[in-house]
Amino acid sequence: MMRSVPAAAVTILLAWIYPSCGLYFHIGETEKKCFIEEIPDETMVIGKYRTQLWDKQAGSFLPSTPGLGMHVEIKDPDTKIILSRQYGSEGRFTFTSHTPGEHQICLHSNSTKMALFAGGKLRVHLEIQVGEHTNNYPEIAAKDKLTELQLRVRQLLDQVEQIQKEQSYQRYREERFRMTSESTNQRVLWWSIAQTFILIVTGIWQMRHLKSFFEAKKLV
Amino acid sequence: MLWGIKNMFDLQFLYLVGCLTLTVGLALDMGPNQNMEFTFMLPTGGTECFYQTTTTGDSMEIEYQVIAGSGLDVGFALISPSGHRVVSEFRTSDGIHMLDYTEFGDYRLCFDNSFSKMSEKMVFFKVIINSEGNTSGGQEEWMDFTVTESMEDYRIEEIRRTMDSVYRHLEKTRQVQTVLRAFEARDRYLLEDNLWRVSFWSCLNLLVMLGVAVTQTYTLRRLFDNTKRVCT
Repeated sequence: MMRSVPAAAVTILLAWIYPSCGLYFHIGETEKKCFIEEIPDETMVIGKYRTQLWDKQAGSFLPSTPGLGMHVEIKDPDTKIILSRQYGSEGRFTFTSHTPGEHQICLHSNSTKMALFAGGKLRVHLEIQVGEHTNNYPEIAAKDKLTELQLRVRQLLDQVEQIQKEQSYQRYREERFRMTSESTNQRVLWWSIAQTFILIVTGIWQMRHLKSFFEAKKLV
Repeated sequence: MLWGIKNMFDLQFLYLVGCLTLTVGLALDMGPNQNMEFTFMLPTGGTECFYQTTTTGDSMEIEYQVIAGSGLDVGFALISPSGHRVVSEFRTSDGIHMLDYTEFGDYRLCFDNSFSKMSEKMVFFKVIINSEGNTSGGQEEWMDFTVTESMEDYRIEEIRRTMDSVYRHLEKTRQVQTVLRAFEARDRYLLEDNLWRVSFWSCLNLLVMLGVAVTQTYTLRRLFDNTKRVCT
């Protein structure tokens, strides 16, 4: 018990902000980078990012630059903005989806001074965790006082729940897919019939019209 | 009492070391399997690069797929930290690459859409890093935070191993689900595109047909009108 609380606190603090995965990319001054996450409903998503600025003098990337923030904008599948906030050079954003579908996470820097980007590069480390990967198991263990095996079982249960959610979402998408497919088939069928009909009617109209025209002109 | 204090100091020292290892581990990205997946829009004629830090001896799996955009193809390049081009693909719609032994440093993954002048592409990619020697779910650290078991038995070790195996399989299930989801998204975009195209071209076809019919009729009429005028 004694050793669990400080260790848990330190790890929670670190895991809270520090993206532990090593994927990063470079972003320009006015550039906006968007990522699309297709998630089922009632799913929590946590995004962590960390920025580094290129320092020409040092010839490398500085650990972090205070004052240089990132603006995070998150849109739900109906293109309604569910989160639009400014964060510092290191940040963590979280949201829970209420409708299943494609959510768009956009990042752009809020820097207005061109001088900051003299080197032209801002490095952004990004990590996005979805579903049961957002759970902080040490915290859950400390809160519910679970043994290690109980915690593992809890993790497995969360995983299975997420898989079930994804499968239901898959079924919903497949239904949409099927509706679109049937709609396309119907449209192809009806348009073809309509076009054939209109073609025949137009042909008949043409012939009749010209016949009466020629008869009127006494050519026939 | 002396023994009690010595024990306490040992404990403090132990968890201090544990914290430090954890901190260093998190900083150096040592840890359990990492799984990163992103879906992003690649602009027309542009290139996007992502960088992944690895340590020596890890194994890395990269899978990517083009979900939307005319042609459904993109160029892909994987460049090692030493600058050597490990993979170079031109205009492929999906690919999967496995690196059994990674070098220390940053690998560069580049997606290239410069050959396309008209359409932007939506690309889904995922990177899985398997740290050597550390393949359980990062659960060794949990022993520091959890309440101790009341019964330490060899059976618990078996249960633990089984649960590890179940965890790994479920992670694989999630990954397969992700890939299937990407395929489905691609097919759905294609289908929605087709629907729009069918409607548009049918409408256009109809208008062109009617236009041609009317033009034919009135051209013919005008022809005879002119002739009539000439005759008289």
